[in-house]
Amino acid sequence: MKNLPRSKRTLASACGLTGLVLLWELSLRAGLLPGNLVPLPSSIPAEFLAELRDGIWLEVVLASLSHYSIGVLIGSVLGISVGVSAALMPGFDAAQSWLARLLRPIPPLAWIPFAIIWFGVTETAAAFIISIGVFWINYFTSYSAVRAIEPSYYEVATVFGQGRFVDRLQKVSLPAAAPGILGGLRAGLGQGWMTVVAAELFGIPGIGQRMMEASGLLATDIVVVYMLTIAALYALFDYLFIMVQRRVLRWQQ
Amino acid sequence: MATVNATGPVLAARHLQLGFGGEVVLDDVSLEVRPQEFVAVVGASGVGKSTLLRALAGLLPPLQGQVSLSPPSEPSSRSWSMVFQAPRLYPWRRVLANVELGLEGLPLSRPERHQRAREQLALVGLEDLGGRWPRTLSGGQQQRVGIARALAVKPQVLFMDEPFSALDAITRRRLQGELSQLRQRTEAAIIFVTHDIEEAALLADRVMVLGKPETRQPARVTTTVPIDLALAKRQNRAGFTDLVQTLERHIGSETAGTQQEPQS
Ligand SMILES: Nc1ncnc2c1ncn2[C@@H]1O[C@H](COP(=O)(O)OP(=O)(O)OP(=O)(O)O)[C@@H](O)[C@H]1O
Ligand SMILES: [Mg+2]
Repeated sequence: MKNLPRSKRTLASACGLTGLVLLWELSLRAGLLPGNLVPLPSSIPAEFLAELRDGIWLEVVLASLSHYSIGVLIGSVLGISVGVSAALMPGFDAAQSWLARLLRPIPPLAWIPFAIIWFGVTETAAAFIISIGVFWINYFTSYSAVRAIEPSYYEVATVFGQGRFVDRLQKVSLPAAAPGILGGLRAGLGQGWMTVVAAELFGIPGIGQRMMEASGLLATDIVVVYMLTIAALYALFDYLFIMVQRRVLRWQQ
Repeated sequence: MATVNATGPVLAARHLQLGFGGEVVLDDVSLEVRPQEFVAVVGASGVGKSTLLRALAGLLPPLQGQVSLSPPSEPSSRSWSMVFQAPRLYPWRRVLANVELGLEGLPLSRPERHQRAREQLALVGLEDLGGRWPRTLSGGQQQRVGIARALAVKPQVLFMDEPFSALDAITRRRLQGELSQLRQRTEAAIIFVTHDIEEAALLADRVMVLGKPETRQPARVTTTVPIDLALAKRQNRAGFTDLVQTLERHIGSETAGTQQEPQS
Protein backbone atom coordinates (compact mmCIF):
# COMPACT_ATOMS: atom_id res chain seq x y z
CA MET A 1 0.00 0.00 0.00
CA LYS A 2 1.33 3.42 -0.92
CA ASN A 3 1.49 6.02 1.85
CA LEU A 4 -0.18 9.37 1.37
CA PRO A 5 1.85 12.48 2.14
CA ARG A 6 1.24 13.79 5.62
CA SER A 7 -0.88 16.81 4.70
CA LYS A 8 -3.17 14.74 2.46
CA ARG A 9 -3.52 12.16 5.19
CA THR A 10 -4.57 14.74 7.75
CA LEU A 11 -7.03 16.21 5.29
CA ALA A 12 -8.56 12.83 4.48
CA SER A 13 -8.86 11.94 8.17
CA ALA A 14 -10.58 15.27 8.90
CA CYS A 15 -12.96 14.71 5.99
CA GLY A 16 -13.81 11.24 7.22
CA LEU A 17 -14.66 12.45 10.69
CA THR A 18 -16.65 15.56 9.71
CA GLY A 19 -18.36 13.60 6.95
CA LEU A 20 -19.68 11.03 9.40
CA VAL A 21 -20.81 13.68 11.88
CA LEU A 22 -22.58 15.59 9.10
CA LEU A 23 -24.26 12.46 7.81
CA TRP A 24 -25.41 11.65 11.32
CA GLU A 25 -26.76 15.16 11.91
CA LEU A 26 -28.56 15.28 8.57
CA SER A 27 -30.16 11.86 8.85
CA LEU A 28 -31.49 12.76 12.30
CA ARG A 29 -32.89 16.02 11.00
CA ALA A 30 -34.42 14.28 8.01
CA GLY A 31 -36.06 11.82 10.39
CA LEU A 32 -34.13 8.83 9.03
CA LEU A 33 -32.90 7.98 12.57
CA PRO A 34 -35.03 7.92 15.72
CA GLY A 35 -34.14 10.95 17.87
CA ASN A 36 -34.55 9.19 21.19
CA LEU A 37 -31.80 6.66 20.46
CA VAL A 38 -28.97 8.93 19.35
CA PRO A 39 -28.33 12.57 20.21
CA LEU A 40 -28.06 15.34 17.68
CA PRO A 41 -24.33 16.11 17.24
CA SER A 42 -24.99 19.84 17.21
CA SER A 43 -26.57 19.58 20.66
CA ILE A 44 -23.42 18.16 22.24
CA PRO A 45 -21.44 21.42 22.73
CA ALA A 46 -24.35 23.06 24.56
CA GLU A 47 -24.77 20.01 26.73
CA PHE A 48 -21.05 20.02 27.49
CA LEU A 49 -21.20 23.68 28.54
CA ALA A 50 -24.15 22.95 30.78
CA GLU A 51 -22.29 20.12 32.53
CA LEU A 52 -19.32 22.41 32.90
CA ARG A 53 -21.40 25.26 34.31
CA ASP A 54 -23.03 23.02 36.90
CA GLY A 55 -19.61 21.91 38.04
CA ILE A 56 -20.53 18.30 37.34
CA TRP A 57 -18.02 17.83 34.57
CA LEU A 58 -15.03 18.92 36.64
CA GLU A 59 -16.19 16.94 39.65
CA VAL A 60 -16.64 13.60 37.87
CA VAL A 61 -13.53 14.05 35.74
CA LEU A 62 -11.40 14.76 38.81
CA ALA A 63 -12.88 11.76 40.60
CA SER A 64 -12.20 9.47 37.65
CA LEU A 65 -8.73 10.91 37.19
CA SER A 66 -7.92 10.07 40.76
CA HIS A 67 -9.06 6.42 40.40
CA TYR A 68 -7.29 6.25 37.10
CA SER A 69 -3.98 7.69 38.31
CA ILE A 70 -3.82 5.54 41.41
CA GLY A 71 -4.84 2.41 39.53
CA VAL A 72 -2.44 3.01 36.66
CA LEU A 73 0.41 3.91 39.00
CA ILE A 74 0.01 0.84 41.19
CA GLY A 75 -0.62 -1.50 38.26
CA SER A 76 2.38 -0.20 36.35
CA VAL A 77 4.83 -0.25 39.24
CA LEU A 78 3.80 -3.74 40.30
CA GLY A 79 3.58 -5.06 36.74
CA ILE A 80 7.04 -3.80 35.83
CA SER A 81 8.58 -4.95 39.11
CA VAL A 82 7.15 -8.45 38.90
CA GLY A 83 7.82 -8.76 35.16
CA VAL A 84 11.45 -7.62 35.40
CA SER A 85 12.11 -9.72 38.50
CA ALA A 86 10.65 -12.83 36.92
CA ALA A 87 12.76 -12.28 33.82
CA LEU A 88 15.94 -11.92 35.85
CA MET A 89 15.50 -14.47 38.65
CA PRO A 90 14.90 -18.05 37.51
CA GLY A 91 13.68 -19.16 40.94
CA PHE A 92 11.10 -16.42 41.14
CA ASP A 93 10.16 -16.97 37.51
CA ALA A 94 9.37 -20.61 38.17
CA ALA A 95 7.47 -19.78 41.35
CA GLN A 96 5.18 -17.27 39.64
CA SER A 97 4.79 -18.99 36.29
CA TRP A 98 1.69 -21.15 36.95
CA LEU A 99 0.14 -18.50 39.13
CA ALA A 100 0.41 -15.98 36.30
CA ARG A 101 -1.00 -18.45 33.80
CA LEU A 102 -3.96 -19.10 36.10
CA LEU A 103 -4.79 -15.48 36.93
CA ARG A 104 -3.99 -13.85 33.61
CA PRO A 105 -7.14 -14.87 31.69
CA ILE A 106 -9.45 -13.45 34.36
CA PRO A 107 -10.78 -10.12 33.03
CA PRO A 108 -10.37 -7.15 35.38
CA LEU A 109 -14.15 -6.71 35.67
CA ALA A 110 -14.52 -10.23 37.05
CA TRP A 111 -12.74 -8.91 40.13
CA ILE A 112 -15.57 -6.47 40.90
CA PRO A 113 -17.27 -8.75 43.46
CA PHE A 114 -14.03 -9.19 45.36
CA ALA A 115 -13.20 -5.51 45.05
CA ILE A 116 -16.51 -4.67 46.74
CA ILE A 117 -16.14 -7.35 49.41
CA TRP A 118 -12.59 -6.28 50.23
CA PHE A 119 -12.80 -2.52 49.86
CA GLY A 120 -16.53 -1.73 49.87
CA VAL A 121 -17.98 0.70 47.34
CA THR A 122 -14.98 2.98 47.62
CA GLU A 123 -12.45 4.72 45.45
CA THR A 124 -9.95 2.04 46.46
CA ALA A 125 -12.16 -0.59 44.87
CA ALA A 126 -12.20 1.29 41.56
CA ALA A 127 -8.44 1.85 41.64
CA PHE A 128 -7.95 -1.83 42.40
CA ILE A 129 -9.94 -2.94 39.36
CA ILE A 130 -8.17 -0.47 37.10
CA SER A 131 -4.78 -1.62 38.36
CA ILE A 132 -5.45 -5.25 37.43
CA GLY A 133 -5.63 -4.76 33.67
CA VAL A 134 -2.71 -2.34 33.77
CA PHE A 135 -0.70 -4.81 35.81
CA TRP A 136 -0.95 -7.61 33.27
CA ILE A 137 0.00 -5.46 30.30
CA ASN A 138 3.07 -4.14 32.09
CA TYR A 139 3.95 -7.52 33.48
CA PHE A 140 4.02 -9.21 30.09
CA THR A 141 5.73 -6.50 28.11
CA SER A 142 8.46 -5.93 30.67
CA TYR A 143 9.00 -9.66 31.13
CA SER A 144 9.50 -10.25 27.43
CA ALA A 145 11.52 -7.06 26.94
CA VAL A 146 14.03 -8.14 29.58
CA ARG A 147 14.07 -11.69 28.23
CA ALA A 148 14.93 -10.41 24.76
CA ILE A 149 18.11 -8.59 25.88
CA GLU A 150 21.21 -9.80 24.05
CA PRO A 151 23.43 -11.80 26.42
CA SER A 152 26.47 -10.00 25.01
CA TYR A 153 25.40 -6.81 26.81
CA TYR A 154 25.67 -8.65 30.09
CA GLU A 155 29.04 -10.07 29.12
CA VAL A 156 30.31 -6.54 28.52
CA ALA A 157 29.05 -5.58 31.98
CA THR A 158 30.92 -8.49 33.55
CA VAL A 159 34.13 -7.68 31.67
CA PHE A 160 34.02 -4.09 32.89
CA GLY A 161 33.39 -4.95 36.52
CA GLN A 162 29.63 -4.33 36.50
CA GLY A 163 28.62 -7.94 37.11
CA ARG A 164 26.79 -7.46 40.41
CA PHE A 165 23.03 -7.92 40.27
CA VAL A 166 22.25 -4.27 41.02
CA ASP A 167 24.72 -3.04 38.42
CA ARG A 168 23.43 -5.40 35.77
CA LEU A 169 19.87 -4.36 36.53
CA GLN A 170 20.61 -0.67 36.45
CA LYS A 171 23.19 -0.57 33.67
CA VAL A 172 21.91 -3.25 31.30
CA SER A 173 18.47 -4.72 32.01
CA LEU A 174 16.50 -1.53 32.54
CA PRO A 175 18.00 0.63 29.79
CA ALA A 176 18.10 -2.20 27.26
CA ALA A 177 14.49 -3.16 27.99
CA ALA A 178 13.31 0.46 28.20
CA PRO A 179 11.72 0.54 24.73
CA GLY A 180 9.60 -2.50 25.55
CA ILE A 181 8.79 -1.40 29.08
CA LEU A 182 7.69 2.03 27.86
CA GLY A 183 5.54 0.41 25.18
CA GLY A 184 3.80 -1.56 27.93
CA LEU A 185 3.33 1.56 30.04
CA ARG A 186 1.71 3.30 27.11
CA ALA A 187 -0.64 0.42 26.42
CA GLY A 188 -1.47 0.42 30.15
CA LEU A 189 -2.42 4.09 30.01
CA GLY A 190 -5.01 3.19 27.37
CA GLN A 191 -6.19 0.06 29.16
CA GLY A 192 -6.72 2.13 32.32
CA TRP A 193 -9.32 4.34 30.60
CA MET A 194 -11.12 1.30 29.30
CA THR A 195 -11.69 -0.07 32.78
CA VAL A 196 -12.26 3.25 34.54
CA VAL A 197 -15.85 3.57 33.34
CA ALA A 198 -16.74 -0.03 34.10
CA ALA A 199 -15.15 0.19 37.53
CA GLU A 200 -17.42 3.14 38.39
CA LEU A 201 -20.64 1.59 37.16
CA PHE A 202 -21.41 0.05 40.52
CA GLY A 203 -21.79 3.36 42.33
CA ILE A 204 -18.38 4.91 42.80
CA PRO A 205 -18.58 8.57 41.79
CA GLY A 206 -16.88 9.43 38.52
CA ILE A 207 -17.41 9.55 34.77
CA GLY A 208 -18.84 6.05 34.68
CA GLN A 209 -21.47 6.76 37.29
CA ARG A 210 -22.51 9.97 35.57
CA MET A 211 -22.90 8.09 32.29
CA MET A 212 -25.09 5.50 34.01
CA GLU A 213 -27.28 8.22 35.46
CA ALA A 214 -27.62 9.92 32.10
CA SER A 215 -28.49 6.72 30.27
CA GLY A 216 -31.17 6.03 32.86
CA LEU A 217 -32.76 9.30 31.84
CA LEU A 218 -32.18 8.53 28.14
CA ALA A 219 -29.98 11.64 28.04
CA THR A 220 -27.85 10.25 25.27
CA ASP A 221 -26.24 13.62 24.60
CA ILE A 222 -24.71 13.62 28.09
CA VAL A 223 -23.44 10.09 27.52
CA VAL A 224 -21.73 11.28 24.35
CA VAL A 225 -20.23 14.29 26.18
CA TYR A 226 -18.45 11.89 28.53
CA MET A 227 -17.47 9.49 25.79
CA LEU A 228 -15.72 12.38 24.08
CA THR A 229 -14.26 13.48 27.40
CA ILE A 230 -12.62 10.10 27.83
CA ALA A 231 -11.32 10.19 24.28
CA ALA A 232 -9.83 13.64 24.89
CA LEU A 233 -8.26 12.66 28.20
CA TYR A 234 -6.79 9.56 26.60
CA ALA A 235 -5.37 11.62 23.74
CA LEU A 236 -3.88 14.11 26.19
CA PHE A 237 -2.23 11.45 28.34
CA ASP A 238 -0.98 9.57 25.32
CA TYR A 239 0.50 12.74 23.87
CA LEU A 240 2.26 13.66 27.10
CA PHE A 241 3.55 10.12 27.39
CA ILE A 242 4.95 10.15 23.87
CA MET A 243 6.82 13.36 24.71
CA VAL A 244 8.42 11.69 27.71
CA GLN A 245 9.10 8.50 25.78
CA ARG A 246 10.86 10.39 22.98
CA ARG A 247 13.12 11.98 25.48
CA VAL A 248 13.93 8.76 27.33
CA LEU A 249 14.55 6.87 24.09
CA ARG A 250 16.53 9.62 22.39
CA TRP A 251 19.31 7.13 21.78
CA GLN A 252 17.05 5.14 19.46
CA GLN A 253 16.00 7.54 16.72
CA MET B 1 54.92 4.20 36.92
CA ALA B 2 56.35 0.85 37.92
CA THR B 3 54.16 -2.11 38.64
CA VAL B 4 54.76 -4.18 41.75
CA ASN B 5 56.14 -7.05 39.78
CA ALA B 6 57.55 -5.17 36.85
CA THR B 7 59.85 -8.02 35.96
CA GLY B 8 57.60 -11.02 36.57
CA PRO B 9 54.91 -12.09 34.13
CA VAL B 10 51.61 -10.21 34.24
CA LEU B 11 49.80 -13.33 33.17
CA ALA B 12 50.73 -16.95 33.63
CA ALA B 13 48.72 -19.97 32.54
CA ARG B 14 49.90 -23.48 33.29
CA HIS B 15 48.68 -26.64 31.58
CA LEU B 16 45.22 -25.34 30.86
CA GLN B 17 42.59 -27.76 29.72
CA LEU B 18 39.41 -26.09 28.50
CA GLY B 19 36.11 -27.42 27.28
CA PHE B 20 32.37 -27.50 27.58
CA GLY B 21 30.18 -30.21 29.03
CA GLY B 22 32.77 -32.97 29.13
CA GLU B 23 34.17 -32.19 25.69
CA VAL B 24 37.74 -30.92 25.70
CA VAL B 25 38.37 -28.12 23.23
CA LEU B 26 41.90 -27.08 24.18
CA ASP B 27 44.52 -29.07 26.05
CA ASP B 28 47.83 -28.36 27.74
CA VAL B 29 48.11 -24.67 26.98
CA SER B 30 50.79 -22.86 28.93
CA LEU B 31 51.61 -19.22 28.47
CA GLU B 32 53.55 -16.50 30.23
CA VAL B 33 53.16 -12.89 29.24
CA ARG B 34 55.62 -10.20 30.31
CA PRO B 35 54.56 -6.61 31.03
CA GLN B 36 53.81 -4.70 27.83
CA GLU B 37 54.38 -7.73 25.68
CA PHE B 38 52.17 -8.23 22.61
CA VAL B 39 51.23 -11.86 22.03
CA ALA B 40 49.14 -12.88 19.03
CA VAL B 41 47.13 -16.10 19.06
CA VAL B 42 46.32 -17.53 15.63
CA GLY B 43 44.51 -20.65 14.53
CA ALA B 44 41.69 -21.89 12.38
CA SER B 45 38.09 -20.97 13.10
CA GLY B 46 36.61 -23.01 15.93
CA VAL B 47 39.99 -24.09 17.26
CA GLY B 48 39.28 -22.42 20.60
CA LYS B 49 40.88 -18.99 20.45
CA SER B 50 37.97 -17.15 22.01
CA THR B 51 37.60 -19.92 24.55
CA LEU B 52 41.25 -19.51 25.55
CA LEU B 53 40.85 -15.76 25.87
CA ARG B 54 37.81 -16.14 28.10
CA ALA B 55 39.64 -18.64 30.28
CA LEU B 56 42.69 -16.38 30.58
CA ALA B 57 40.38 -13.54 31.61
CA GLY B 58 38.77 -15.72 34.25
CA LEU B 59 35.36 -15.73 32.56
CA LEU B 60 35.51 -19.48 31.97
CA PRO B 61 36.81 -21.84 34.66
CA PRO B 62 39.37 -24.28 33.21
CA LEU B 63 38.79 -28.03 33.47
CA GLN B 64 42.39 -28.35 34.57
CA GLY B 65 45.34 -26.08 35.16
CA GLN B 66 45.40 -22.56 36.46
CA VAL B 67 45.66 -18.98 35.41
CA SER B 68 47.19 -16.20 37.43
CA LEU B 69 46.78 -12.59 36.48
CA SER B 70 48.66 -9.86 38.26
CA PRO B 71 46.47 -7.57 40.35
CA PRO B 72 45.60 -4.01 39.26
CA SER B 73 48.58 -1.69 39.25
CA GLU B 74 46.72 0.96 41.26
CA PRO B 75 43.33 1.18 43.00
CA SER B 76 41.76 3.11 40.14
CA SER B 77 42.57 0.49 37.53
CA ARG B 78 41.50 -3.04 36.64
CA SER B 79 43.80 -5.95 36.09
CA TRP B 80 42.42 -6.70 32.63
CA SER B 81 39.88 -5.62 30.07
CA MET B 82 38.73 -6.69 26.64
CA VAL B 83 38.00 -5.55 23.10
CA PHE B 84 35.52 -7.70 21.22
CA GLN B 85 35.06 -8.59 17.58
CA ALA B 86 31.95 -6.37 17.44
CA PRO B 87 32.20 -3.00 19.20
CA ARG B 88 29.46 -3.99 21.68
CA LEU B 89 28.84 -0.44 22.83
CA TYR B 90 25.73 0.30 24.85
CA PRO B 91 23.46 2.17 22.42
CA TRP B 92 21.66 3.91 25.29
CA ARG B 93 24.85 5.58 26.48
CA ARG B 94 26.62 8.39 24.73
CA VAL B 95 30.13 7.68 23.50
CA LEU B 96 31.84 9.22 26.53
CA ALA B 97 29.61 7.33 28.95
CA ASN B 98 30.44 4.11 27.11
CA VAL B 99 34.14 4.75 27.68
CA GLU B 100 33.38 5.38 31.36
CA LEU B 101 31.66 2.04 31.88
CA GLY B 102 34.67 0.27 33.39
CA LEU B 103 35.54 3.27 35.54
CA GLU B 104 32.25 3.13 37.42
CA GLY B 105 32.87 1.42 40.72
CA LEU B 106 36.53 2.41 40.76
CA PRO B 107 37.53 5.00 43.36
CA LEU B 108 37.30 7.96 41.02
CA SER B 109 35.20 11.10 41.30
CA ARG B 110 32.83 11.96 38.49
CA PRO B 111 35.11 14.70 37.06
CA GLU B 112 38.08 12.32 37.23
CA ARG B 113 36.05 9.73 35.36
CA HIS B 114 35.08 12.20 32.64
CA GLN B 115 38.66 13.38 32.43
CA ARG B 116 40.07 9.88 32.04
CA ALA B 117 37.44 8.94 29.46
CA ARG B 118 38.15 12.08 27.44
CA GLU B 119 41.87 11.33 27.46
CA GLN B 120 41.23 7.84 26.14
CA LEU B 121 38.94 9.14 23.41
CA ALA B 122 41.66 11.57 22.39
CA LEU B 123 44.12 8.68 22.29
CA VAL B 124 42.01 6.95 19.64
CA GLY B 125 41.42 10.24 17.83
CA LEU B 126 37.76 10.70 18.74
CA GLU B 127 37.96 13.55 21.25
CA ASP B 128 35.17 15.42 19.46
CA LEU B 129 32.67 12.58 19.41
CA GLY B 130 32.14 12.06 23.15
CA GLY B 131 28.65 13.53 23.05
CA ARG B 132 27.40 11.42 20.15
CA TRP B 133 25.18 8.34 20.30
CA PRO B 134 26.99 5.16 19.23
CA ARG B 135 24.61 4.51 16.31
CA THR B 136 25.80 7.74 14.67
CA LEU B 137 29.39 6.43 14.46
CA SER B 138 30.94 4.41 11.66
CA GLY B 139 31.99 0.83 12.34
CA GLY B 140 35.64 1.82 12.60
CA GLN B 141 34.85 4.68 14.97
CA GLN B 142 32.76 2.37 17.13
CA GLN B 143 35.60 -0.12 17.34
CA ARG B 144 37.94 2.71 18.38
CA VAL B 145 35.50 3.61 21.17
CA GLY B 146 35.63 -0.05 22.22
CA ILE B 147 39.42 0.22 22.42
CA ALA B 148 39.21 3.46 24.41
CA ARG B 149 36.73 1.84 26.79
CA ALA B 150 39.15 -1.05 27.35
CA LEU B 151 42.21 1.17 27.81
CA ALA B 152 40.41 3.54 30.18
CA VAL B 153 40.66 1.10 33.07
CA LYS B 154 44.48 1.03 32.68
CA PRO B 155 44.59 -2.73 32.47
CA GLN B 156 47.66 -4.87 33.08
CA VAL B 157 46.47 -7.17 30.33
CA LEU B 158 44.31 -6.21 27.38
CA PHE B 159 42.54 -9.06 25.61
CA MET B 160 41.54 -8.43 22.02
CA ASP B 161 39.37 -11.00 20.25
CA GLU B 162 39.65 -10.43 16.48
CA PRO B 163 39.04 -6.72 17.04
CA PHE B 164 39.47 -5.75 13.40
CA SER B 165 38.00 -8.70 11.54
CA ALA B 166 34.58 -7.10 11.11
CA LEU B 167 36.05 -4.00 9.46
CA ASP B 168 36.73 -3.28 5.81
CA ALA B 169 40.32 -3.70 4.60
CA ILE B 170 41.18 0.00 4.55
CA THR B 171 39.86 0.70 8.05
CA ARG B 172 41.53 -2.47 9.30
CA ARG B 173 44.94 -1.33 8.01
CA ARG B 174 44.46 2.06 9.60
CA LEU B 175 43.45 0.66 12.97
CA GLN B 176 46.35 -1.81 12.90
CA GLY B 177 48.69 1.15 12.46
CA GLU B 178 46.96 3.02 15.25
CA LEU B 179 47.20 0.05 17.58
CA SER B 180 50.95 -0.29 17.09
CA GLN B 181 51.27 3.43 17.86
CA LEU B 182 48.99 3.08 20.87
CA ARG B 183 51.19 0.33 22.26
CA GLN B 184 53.97 2.79 22.95
CA ARG B 185 51.62 4.80 25.12
CA THR B 186 50.01 2.12 27.25
CA GLU B 187 51.25 -0.04 30.06
CA ALA B 188 49.13 -2.98 29.05
CA ALA B 189 50.35 -6.30 27.78
CA ILE B 190 48.17 -7.34 24.85
CA ILE B 191 46.86 -10.75 23.96
CA PHE B 192 45.46 -10.50 20.48
CA VAL B 193 43.41 -13.20 18.79
CA THR B 194 43.28 -13.16 15.01
CA HIS B 195 43.07 -15.48 12.07
CA ASP B 196 44.99 -13.02 9.92
CA ILE B 197 48.61 -14.15 9.86
CA GLU B 198 49.91 -10.90 8.43
CA GLU B 199 48.15 -8.99 11.13
CA ALA B 200 49.76 -11.18 13.78
CA ALA B 201 53.20 -10.78 12.24
CA LEU B 202 52.75 -7.05 11.88
CA LEU B 203 51.72 -6.35 15.44
CA ALA B 204 53.01 -9.03 17.80
CA ASP B 205 56.23 -9.74 19.66
CA ARG B 206 55.34 -13.39 19.69
CA VAL B 207 52.81 -15.48 17.78
CA MET B 208 51.25 -18.53 19.37
CA VAL B 209 49.73 -20.97 16.91
CA LEU B 210 46.85 -23.20 18.03
CA GLY B 211 46.02 -26.30 16.04
CA LYS B 212 44.69 -29.80 16.23
CA PRO B 213 47.32 -32.53 15.98
CA GLU B 214 44.57 -34.71 14.55
CA THR B 215 40.93 -34.12 13.77
CA ARG B 216 38.60 -34.96 16.63
CA GLN B 217 41.39 -34.30 19.12
CA PRO B 218 41.55 -31.25 21.32
CA ALA B 219 43.67 -28.41 19.96
CA ARG B 220 47.05 -27.56 21.44
CA VAL B 221 49.76 -24.99 21.03
CA THR B 222 51.41 -26.12 17.80
CA THR B 223 54.26 -23.68 17.98
CA THR B 224 55.25 -20.27 19.27
CA VAL B 225 57.21 -17.99 16.96
CA PRO B 226 59.05 -15.01 18.42
CA ILE B 227 59.19 -11.99 16.17
CA ASP B 228 62.24 -9.86 16.73
CA LEU B 229 61.95 -7.55 13.77
CA ALA B 230 61.75 -3.92 14.81
CA LEU B 231 58.37 -2.37 14.28
CA ALA B 232 59.68 0.09 11.70
CA LYS B 233 61.20 -2.72 9.70
CA ARG B 234 57.95 -4.60 9.66
CA GLN B 235 56.13 -1.60 8.38
CA ASN B 236 58.75 -1.16 5.69
CA ARG B 237 58.14 -4.77 4.76
CA ALA B 238 61.87 -5.62 4.89
CA GLY B 239 61.99 -9.23 5.92
CA PHE B 240 58.30 -9.12 6.58
CA THR B 241 57.37 -11.48 3.78
CA ASP B 242 59.85 -14.05 5.13
CA LEU B 243 58.23 -13.79 8.50
CA VAL B 244 54.73 -14.30 7.16
CA GLN B 245 55.95 -17.25 5.13
CA THR B 246 57.54 -18.84 8.19
CA LEU B 247 54.29 -18.49 10.07
CA GLU B 248 52.29 -19.78 7.17
CA ARG B 249 54.57 -22.83 7.02
CA HIS B 250 53.84 -23.53 10.66
CA ILE B 251 50.13 -23.19 10.24
CA GLY B 252 50.33 -25.04 6.91
CA SER B 253 52.19 -27.99 8.44
CA GLU B 254 49.60 -28.09 11.18
CA THR B 255 46.70 -28.30 8.75
CA ALA B 256 48.63 -30.74 6.56
CA GLY B 257 49.17 -32.89 9.65
CA THR B 258 45.47 -33.43 9.92
CA GLN B 259 45.40 -35.00 6.50
CA GLN B 260 48.62 -36.97 6.35
CA GLU B 261 49.90 -39.70 8.59
CA PRO B 262 52.14 -38.10 11.18
CA GLN B 263 55.80 -38.84 10.40
CA SER B 264 57.48 -41.04 12.99
N1 LIG C 1 29.49 -21.90 25.29
C1 LIG C 1 29.89 -22.97 24.58
N2 LIG C 1 29.31 -24.18 24.79
C2 LIG C 1 29.71 -25.27 24.09
N3 LIG C 1 30.67 -25.26 23.17
C3 LIG C 1 31.29 -24.10 22.92
C4 LIG C 1 30.93 -22.88 23.61
N4 LIG C 1 31.70 -21.87 23.15
C5 LIG C 1 32.50 -22.43 22.22
N5 LIG C 1 32.27 -23.76 22.08
C6 LIG C 1 32.97 -24.67 21.18
O1 LIG C 1 34.35 -24.57 21.43
C7 LIG C 1 35.07 -24.60 20.23
C8 LIG C 1 35.98 -23.38 20.15
O2 LIG C 1 35.19 -22.22 20.02
P1 LIG C 1 35.82 -20.78 19.97
O3 LIG C 1 34.72 -19.80 19.91
O4 LIG C 1 36.79 -20.63 21.08
O5 LIG C 1 36.59 -20.82 18.58
P2 LIG C 1 37.48 -19.69 17.88
O6 LIG C 1 38.82 -20.25 17.69
O7 LIG C 1 37.37 -18.42 18.64
O8 LIG C 1 36.77 -19.57 16.47
P3 LIG C 1 36.52 -18.25 15.57
O9 LIG C 1 37.81 -17.93 14.89
O10 LIG C 1 35.49 -18.71 14.59
O11 LIG C 1 36.03 -17.16 16.47
C9 LIG C 1 34.07 -24.67 19.11
O12 LIG C 1 34.01 -26.02 18.68
C10 LIG C 1 32.78 -24.26 19.74
O13 LIG C 1 31.71 -24.94 19.16
MG1 LIG D 1 36.39 -16.51 18.29
